[in-house]
Amino acid sequence: MTISQSAAQADRPNGDVIMELDDTSVEFGMSRGRSRVLNGVDFEVSRDEIVGVIGESGSGKSMFASAMLDAVPEPGVTTGDVTYYPEDDDPVSVTDLSKEELRRFRWEEVSMVFQGAMSSFNPVLKIRTHFVETLSAHDYNVERGLERVRELLEDLYLEPERMLESYPHELSGGMKQRVLIALSLVLDPEMLVMDEPTAALDLLMQRSIISLLHDIQDKHDLTIVFITHDLPLVANLADRLAVLYAFEFAEVGPADDILEDPAHPYTRALLNATPNLSAPLEEMRPIEGESPDPVNIPEGCSYHPRCPIADEMCRSHDPDAYDAGADHDVHCHHWEDSIENIDNALASSGSMDRSRRTAADRSADEEPVVSLDDIEVEFGSENDGLLDFGDSEIVTAVDGISLDIYQNDVVVLVGESGCGKTTLGKTAVGLQQPTDGTIEYKGRDIWEGSGNSSTLADKEIRRALQIVHQDPGSSLNSHHRVRTILETPLKRWHSDLDGNDRRERILGMLEYVGISPPEDYIDRYPHQLSGGEKQRVALIRAMLINPDLILADEAVSALDVSLRVSTMDLMIELQDVFNTSYLAISHDLSNARYFAEKTGGRIGVMYLGELVEIGSPEQIIHDPKHPYTQALRWATPELDRDEDIDDNPMRTIDVPDQTNMPSGCRYHTRCPKAREVCRTQKPELIDRSDEDGVQHTACFRALEDHEYWDSEPIAEEPPAAEETGSAD
Amino acid sequence: MDWKIRRFGQGLFTVWAVVSLTFFITRMMPGNPVDAFVAQIGPELENPQEAYELAETYMNINPEAPLHVAYRDYMISMVQGDLGRSMSQNAEVTELMAEAVPWTLFVMSWAIAISFVVGISLGAIMAYWEGSTFDTAVTGYATTVTSIPFYVLALLLLMVFGYQLGWFPTGGRQPSGVEAGFNLPFMLGMIHHAALPVFSMLVASGAASLTMRGNSVRILGEDYLRVARLRGLADRTIAVRYVARNAILPMYTGLMIAIGTMFGGAVVLEEIYTYRGMGYYMIQAVRMRDYPLMMGAFTVITIAVVIALLIADLTYGKIDPRAGGENREAF
Repeated sequence: MTISQSAAQADRPNGDVIMELDDTSVEFGMSRGRSRVLNGVDFEVSRDEIVGVIGESGSGKSMFASAMLDAVPEPGVTTGDVTYYPEDDDPVSVTDLSKEELRRFRWEEVSMVFQGAMSSFNPVLKIRTHFVETLSAHDYNVERGLERVRELLEDLYLEPERMLESYPHELSGGMKQRVLIALSLVLDPEMLVMDEPTAALDLLMQRSIISLLHDIQDKHDLTIVFITHDLPLVANLADRLAVLYAFEFAEVGPADDILEDPAHPYTRALLNATPNLSAPLEEMRPIEGESPDPVNIPEGCSYHPRCPIADEMCRSHDPDAYDAGADHDVHCHHWEDSIENIDNALASSGSMDRSRRTAADRSADEEPVVSLDDIEVEFGSENDGLLDFGDSEIVTAVDGISLDIYQNDVVVLVGESGCGKTTLGKTAVGLQQPTDGTIEYKGRDIWEGSGNSSTLADKEIRRALQIVHQDPGSSLNSHHRVRTILETPLKRWHSDLDGNDRRERILGMLEYVGISPPEDYIDRYPHQLSGGEKQRVALIRAMLINPDLILADEAVSALDVSLRVSTMDLMIELQDVFNTSYLAISHDLSNARYFAEKTGGRIGVMYLGELVEIGSPEQIIHDPKHPYTQALRWATPELDRDEDIDDNPMRTIDVPDQTNMPSGCRYHTRCPKAREVCRTQKPELIDRSDEDGVQHTACFRALEDHEYWDSEPIAEEPPAAEETGSAD
Repeated sequence: MDWKIRRFGQGLFTVWAVVSLTFFITRMMPGNPVDAFVAQIGPELENPQEAYELAETYMNINPEAPLHVAYRDYMISMVQGDLGRSMSQNAEVTELMAEAVPWTLFVMSWAIAISFVVGISLGAIMAYWEGSTFDTAVTGYATTVTSIPFYVLALLLLMVFGYQLGWFPTGGRQPSGVEAGFNLPFMLGMIHHAALPVFSMLVASGAASLTMRGNSVRILGEDYLRVARLRGLADRTIAVRYVARNAILPMYTGLMIAIGTMFGGAVVLEEIYTYRGMGYYMIQAVRMRDYPLMMGAFTVITIAVVIALLIADLTYGKIDPRAGGENREAF
């Protein structure tokens, strides 16, 4: 205990604390040694507040959540005190509760929403059974309980009867997540712990749920602990923010202070490393290094190996809480310096500044590397007669998209899941045969001569078109060493190299992408690499083939926030060295913006199999013409706290059924600006390029004289059950 | 609805294909049963022409008729339930089967039921106490049992409990000297006679217990189980509704396929115990070169397996809601 600690606690308002953690640790015994996944944490949650807890993967944030319910999975052991303060009763020590008391405490007082909403329901039971079971297990009146459930579901913009009678697999991810929130509130708990509740969802759904949480919290007087890796997501929602790093809190304070005036170097670095839509690119910088291993936490301040201002004291003494303002605690010896020096220190670590061609500079007569012409891809079984009695069920994943990709070009496709962006990407690199339309590589039809086979006949084209997958863990063969993985493409395409040349080349590449010492890594297996290293190996593997176009399918989404920027920087650097183009796919507009703006590329927005808008990032981000792009723009969380998140620019939350596409403009069912003409007529891409950049928009609103302007609006219909956006 | 008709159609197609195959084997193969029959019977008869008529009586195939006519007649008699006439037993094959099949079903249904119940229970307990001594011991037992062929176990059981200890009868299917019917001594006698054959088939429980153990361990790691525990559901509810139900689901089709395997196994098993069921007759037929009986038994086994799989397929949607949709594949 140091003086700073007691000082920090003294000025805490002795307001209403609902949950207090005192020196709480969680440990796992492992063969490699004892693994401390939560390291002596002190924390207080006040009644009726929303606390955002931010941490990268492996920072101990899930353990923090579980510890509050004493629900750490075996063989984990929780030590220290976890105390719950009921509103007008004696404090309860959660860790000392008996099995039966604990059973009642959970869900009745504190309940939890998990990361995996998709798998949080028993697949063989109806949604109703889940609610009824929970009510009767806690001896609640089932009839009255179900009344409450219906009300909850309605508040979450779901149709209660339809939800209750459904099986879990019949609901979309967003619906399941909302039903899970209702399930967690069914016993009217005082406190709700949410562990990455929106991580698996689309941007639009994430944002919609966040805005619903506000209303729910108000209505039910809830205390919410919201745990996430995504800082901007909670920036708007939380009253207080806490940053976890390496199983300890780095900084805790009011959300405004943390966002505007972070005191801990890690928080500063994290804010800078998080891609967003408004900050200038020069301010975004990756954090060097990676998070520590729980078995081997560094001595002293656990952040010192990555901290630019670390000194001898940081290496030897673990900092306790320093008081950095009202309610604002920071675990850093140099927090005062940090505010002044960290940006300078980071700035001197070097930034890339290269002038690049932008999409606008590209001359129209340049020949594209890959050219898609009116591509259509359909899935599903057609009735093939005779012994097939099934119905035809066809889903059109990509519907009539034309796109040219030039040399050294970058196109980032964004859209909700199921919009066809991955199918389009795979079609562009010849992994998926289109049902209609042609794909040309330097003027040659890539499927020519392939007949009905699913592989390209022309080996040269196959080499030129490559892919980097989202999850490097499963795209690298776990039984092969790094050397074997990287040698395979070299043997295949550079048969003139002998073993030594290949080794030299691989070592050189590993070194180049910052995996050092390469001699040590070349004989490792993928599981001995960290997530970032795996993705870099996967990148090199694609690059060694010298492709002309790489499909990067969500290449950075599986990585930690702090690694995303550095991985994207590396991809950009490799592009210059190898002279390739990227077709990137992302569900995240911030990442798309970073990648496209830094390379002078284009962003393409897809909706239900169609390209609704494409243009330079400046235009798409700052002047989106299509209402759907505007909705995506709204859904992308910002660090700016003043933004109003209740103003949902869509009429419905859920995406229409894909086997029954809306007529006319496909977005008209959700578009707030839709008019009668949008129901019947389908807009083509309209060129709205100007001196600021290229931009093509498929919306009648881009035309000044169109019958749209005289058409009746259809947005004035009475609000549907699914509608959201009620400002309170 | 459509896929049910489709599945049914596929089942019919299989039966048709098998029956056609028996026809072509019987009729077309060089040295085929019909020619052999005529060659064997013909010289002994006063009028060798009668051999052809006899062939038609026994095998439903008239060797003199053109192929398509013979095929049509054969199929018609099959549809009418006429499987021909057994030469060795000198009785209609249909009657023989009708009399023998219930006995086989009796033994096999008990064998399947007991081995799955034992297997599933053991597997569930093993999963619950994963890593314990019990788990290791039963895994060892299960692996051993699975690797023993059932007929070896049958011989061992017969030797020990039938001949040495004399606890169980060494053959036959019903007690002698007791009036057949719904009376207690007869029922007990039936069970007494069926006991050893049933226990011989218990080797199937080994594989079932290992599958169940694996499935349960997988389910125990599912998110919904963790949520169910946090929701405070009773342990019993979680064990039955959450773990057992989801763990048994994938074994359901396995159970139905086991029916087919067991019918095949009945051939050897019933011979060992001289248990006069369908398999016993089949061996007899092979021994006596009684082609009609052999083909009849073959057809019956095929139909039984097709029906079992059809039932599995049509009912799977009832027990697993995820499989209820259109265009699904249960296997």
